[in-house]
Order: sequence, then C-alpha cells, then structure tokens
Amino acid sequence: MQNFSSINMKAGINTIPLGSVPEDTAIALYKAMLRVRMIEEALISEYHPADEIRCPVHFCLGQEAVSAALSFLVKDEDYIFSHHRSHGYYLGKNAPLRALFSELYGRETGANGGKAGSQDISYSDKHFYSGAILSGATSISVGTAFALKYKKLPYAAIAGFGEGATDEGVFWETVNFAALHSLPLLLICENNYYATYSPMSKRMAVENIAQKVGAFGGKNHSVFGNDILSVYMSISNALEEIRSGGGPVFIEVFTYRNNSHVGPEDDSYIGYRSAEEMAFWKANDPIVLIEEKLGADMIARLRPGFEHDIKTEIDDAFKFAKESAFPATSDWQMLNYHPETPLADSLLKEFASGNFNQDQKDHIPGPY
Amino acid sequence: MQTQTATTREITYAQAIQEALDQAMGLCDDVIVMGQLVDYKSGIFGTTTGLVEKYGKNRVLDMPVAEAMMTSAAGGAALAGLRPVVVHQRLDFMLYSMDAIVNWISLWYFKSNGESRMPLTIRAITGKGWGQGPQHSKSFHAFFAHIPGLRVAMPSTAFDAKGLLLESILGENPTFIIEGRSLFSMKDEVPEIPYRVRFGEGKIMKSGKDVTLVAIGTFVPLAMRAAFDLLKNGIDVEVIDPRTLSPFDNALVCESVAKTGRLVVVDPGWNFSGFSAEVVAGVVEQVGSVLKANPIRVTLPDSHTPMSMSLESQYYPDEQRLSDTITKLMRQNGL
Ligand SMILES: Cc1ncc(C[n+]2csc(CCOP(=O)(O)OP(=O)(O)O)c2C)c(N)n1
Ligand SMILES: [Mg+2]
Repeated sequence: MQNFSSINMKAGINTIPLGSVPEDTAIALYKAMLRVRMIEEALISEYHPADEIRCPVHFCLGQEAVSAALSFLVKDEDYIFSHHRSHGYYLGKNAPLRALFSELYGRETGANGGKAGSQDISYSDKHFYSGAILSGATSISVGTAFALKYKKLPYAAIAGFGEGATDEGVFWETVNFAALHSLPLLLICENNYYATYSPMSKRMAVENIAQKVGAFGGKNHSVFGNDILSVYMSISNALEEIRSGGGPVFIEVFTYRNNSHVGPEDDSYIGYRSAEEMAFWKANDPIVLIEEKLGADMIARLRPGFEHDIKTEIDDAFKFAKESAFPATSDWQMLNYHPETPLADSLLKEFASGNFNQDQKDHIPGPY
Repeated sequence: MQTQTATTREITYAQAIQEALDQAMGLCDDVIVMGQLVDYKSGIFGTTTGLVEKYGKNRVLDMPVAEAMMTSAAGGAALAGLRPVVVHQRLDFMLYSMDAIVNWISLWYFKSNGESRMPLTIRAITGKGWGQGPQHSKSFHAFFAHIPGLRVAMPSTAFDAKGLLLESILGENPTFIIEGRSLFSMKDEVPEIPYRVRFGEGKIMKSGKDVTLVAIGTFVPLAMRAAFDLLKNGIDVEVIDPRTLSPFDNALVCESVAKTGRLVVVDPGWNFSGFSAEVVAGVVEQVGSVLKANPIRVTLPDSHTPMSMSLESQYYPDEQRLSDTITKLMRQNGL
C-alpha cells in the first residue's frame, strides 16, 4: 500500500491479517459496515429530491469501521455518547433504524419524537446519546463513567468524537478527571484530519493527540481506522481492559470522511482537500480494504444477499417514517420539565414553616 | 396538606444546608456531593462540614478546578442514576460551565422527548460585601430563570434552604439553588425531620393591607425589617418571598396586589431585563387595573459590583432606601 506523505498518520496504514479474528466475525463486520454505508447513501439520495428530511445531517461515509466494531462489542448496559456525526454511533449501539429515520423526518415515532434530529438524537432504552456541541457529550460521559464505577457495575461509558473536539478546553478537563479516578471510559477519537474545512495543522501546534492524552496520564493508542479488523481488535482489547477495572483508554482512529462535512451536497468546490488526498483515501476505503481481504469470490457470493437484506430494511424504515404522523401541538411546559417527584414524595414530609424572626441582621462575612 | 408535628430548633442557614445534605445522603445512596474543597473541615462555610467523615471520599468529592467538566460530569452521573449536588463557592466560578448548563443539562429532558432526565442540584453562592468586587458577587438568577428546563430557587431563610435543597436533590429536574453568602449566619426555626418546600409556592412572610412588597433572596430580611419599621408609621406592608423564581408563584403575588393595589419589588439583581421586571409584568398582565400607583422596582444599579466599601454601600440598597421608597409610594395616594 502506498504511503501518503501529506498526512501525519501515526498509526500508518497498517492492517492486520484476516486470521486475527474468526472468519464469521470478519464477515459480520463487513456486513455491518455495508449496512451503515447503504443507509447513509440512501439518506443522501433521498435528502434533496423530497426535502422531507429537514435537519442538518453529518454523514459518515468512509467512517463506518468504528460503528461496525462497536455494534458487536457493546453491551446494552454500556453507554455511548456521540458527537454530531451520530448515525454510525447510533447504529453501533444497535438502536432501531425505523426510529432513526422517523426522527430525521421529524415524526412523532422518531427516536425523540422529532425534537432532536440527526445531530442531537438519543435512544435512552439503548443508552445512546448525542449532541452537536463539540466535546459536550464526551464531557458528560465522564460522569456516567463515574456513576458506573460508583455503582460497581461492570459496564463502560464510550464517547465518540472527532479530532476537532480536542480543540476544546473542556475535553482535556475530561481526560484529566477520567485518568485521575481511573474511570471505565473509552474515548474514541475519529481523526479525519479536518474540523469542517480546517485541517489540524491550522489548529494544533502538536498534532499527536494520543500523545497529548498520555501527558494527562491516560492510556492511549492509535490505529489505522479504515482497517476494520484493527479497529475491532483495538476496541475489543480496550473494552476488556476497561471492564476489568483498568481505567480509561483513548483510541485515536485515523480515518477519512469521504463525503462533505454536512448535508448531501458536495463541498469539494471549496478546495480544502486535494484531489490527490481524496483519491488516496478512496483507494483505502474501509469497505474496499475488507473486500480485498475477504477476496473477490467470497464477496461475489455474499454481497448480493447482504445488499438485499439491507435494502429491505432501509425501504421499510423510509416507509415507516413517511407514514408516521407529525408530532401533535405541544404543551411546551410539559416538554421541558418532568412533572412528578416520586422519590421526594416517598422520602420527605410536609411541614408548615413558622414565622421568620425579622429582628436579626444579615451579615457581611469576612473577605471570603 | 398534612403537616407533621415535629421538633424544631433554631439553627443557621449554613447549618440548615448542611443538615439537608446530610439527610439526603442518609436517605438515598445515590446522592453525592461534588465541588472544590467540599471534603475539608471548613466545608464551604460549614455547609459540607462532617459529610466526608460520615459518607466517605467517594460520595463527598473534592474536584479539580475544572467547573465546565464538573458540571458536565454531574449531568452524566445523574443520567446513570446518581443525584449529584454540585457546589460552587462562588456562582461566578460556575460560569465556566455555561455550556453544560445551557446546551446540555437544561434541554436534556426536552431533547430526549421526556425519556431521559438529569436530576441534579447546583448550589451556587453569591458573595456580598467586604470588597467581593465584580467577579465574586454575581447572582444571575434572572438569567437562569430565563432558561427553559431549569428550576431556580433563592431561599432566604434557613427553613426554606433546607426544604428546597431536599426537594431539589430528591426531585427529578435540574435545579439551581442560589444562596446568599450574607444569609449564612442568620437563624430560623428548622424542623429536625427531612421535609419539603415545593417549587412554585411563594410565601407570605408578613401579611399586610397597604402595599405588596415582593422580596427576593438576600433582600428578604431587609424587606422584613423595613416592613416592621413602617408598621410604626402606620404603613402595613405585605411581604412576599417567592422562594423559587422558576417556577414562579405569580398567582400569590397577584392575589396580594388585588388586595393592596400597590407593588414594590426588591431584587438583588440588575434592573434592566432583571427578574424584578418579570414580577411587575406578571402583575400588570393579570391584575393591572387594580393598581393605584405605578409599580416600583428597587434593585442593584445596572453596573458591575464595586470593591471599595464606600461604593459598595451605595451599590446595595439598604433598609432606609426601601422604607423611603415605600413611604413615598403611599404618600402618592394621599396617605
Ligand atoms: C462548540 C462548538 N463549536 C463549533 C461547532 C461547529 N462545528 C460543527 S462540526 C465542527 C467540526 C467538527 O470537527 P471534528 O470534531 O473533527 O468532527 P468531524 O466533523 O470531523 O467528524 C464544527 C467546528 C460546534 N458544533 N460546537
Ligand atoms: Mg474531524
């Protein structure tokens, strides 16, 4: 494989051999990536002609590996916190496709009843959460990790984000706290080299993010993110370590966004990525690479069936979304506050207050 | 309402807060207290003293000086079943966590379509006096009350401090308790039992027939002294402490104004776009036609807080100013 010099990719473009995982695992990972790919492509092709998906969507074409790996490695009780590029993580947590599509269509049956959309979607039953403000969900995840440890539960909190999130100060406060308390937290940084159009070199004096995490005392490693087998093995090892009480792990996953930053339109006219660079990554696309490994014969045998299954699922989700009703007019107050207080009702007493003694001075304390 | 008969005794505002934390932690293992220096003997002006000895370092957590993460982490912990109480020695320090508060915690319940919630309590202390200056004295209650999804309380008495804190910690919504540092040594009759003060229920601190005085937070004791003073001059002031700003008991205030026909609001916040304006608007919209005079707002000037003692004493309205204002208002109507 050719090297690509304009990119400082610490992990290189090394891949691991097919034999590193059982063959059915490799095939299942392949199918999971194909599923994410086809779902994103279907949404892209539907987005404009109909204009019924009316929310910003950050598609993850080219970045399917983390999603596929997670979908086989997470437990229902684990938590995933995603950034704005959420679909891969949503599917990685095995949340239902219908609710995803419905949410994008702003329908009542959506994952959030049409309140959130693509960049803020959540699915509580599966402990999946996301949000658009960079590093925000990651910083929340550290508290969830704290709670899991506090409750002595053998589960992990997992945060997925881009290298852009590490520009934020609160990200480093989060790394520090996770390391300090040895929390069960997996930090997955999908480094696709760009925050919108801005390359890392314009934003960071030191581009090696894993090394910076190391300076905070966090375990870290880097992996070529378009080799699904490397990604799978590295997340698998990290989760095992975290579940056995080993503390947080940071994985820097070097990958590339094939499509534009946001929306279905092509943003290459802006000229922020060279044709040469894009061609390199196209040749090293995660699906291309695993297909090479599995071999043309096997792919010819498997792919049509996989595509058929996935297409059926996608068609069903579109139909479900489009046939679902829009949310009813709202009682706004009810949407923002939980109306009940069951715990307070059971633990607290009623007591009428007496009179306040007004013959006392409030007090200017000392300097502190 | 079924009220209990229970032992009460006089304790300070700081002791009442400490007692609420202690009882909440005793009643529910999910309650944790997090903040800088919460596990030292000094215990945030005595409000967390003794908790670490009783409940351990895992539940009484000294935090890095990283308020943004601290607040986010509290949200994440709440999501996974804990009931964190975040303590900020000054509200001004908390402002680093504005993103966590505004972009995440306040809208979490909404965004999840009511499926997920973050029951957490943020205690933030407003400094006053002895040259606290512009970065140690902000109250900002109007701002927090402005944000949907948050509840905001400003207890003025030890009784309310305990009851509102317990209600908040064991409740289901993210809540701000804004505490006045100048109130910490003030005493009140406080029951020993764990009791609740509900959000959205204001309190008539002193009933009266001539003028409604709505007093907020640290200005409640001041309002009470002024009211009892004015009684000597034959002016009978009704003092209302809304206790919680979000939700706000507008009905109680309107009922009072319907009786008195006059409204004065004393608010330890800035005037322009302040909470005092919200109180006036609530009255004007509901019962405006009963007003015998224009409502008056007594607030902080629209300025940051000065350090110098001589300026500080002009900055905060005092009892005399409040009494004079009310006296003048009454004279307007030929009393
Ligand atoms: C706090 C904040 N600032 C700015 C933005 C606008 N924004 C949206 S996506 C993005 C780039 C994110 O880059 P990265 O974190 O690397 O993720 P990627 O989009 O590459 O997957 C920016 C700056 C935001 N969402 N949040
Ligand atoms: Mg990026």
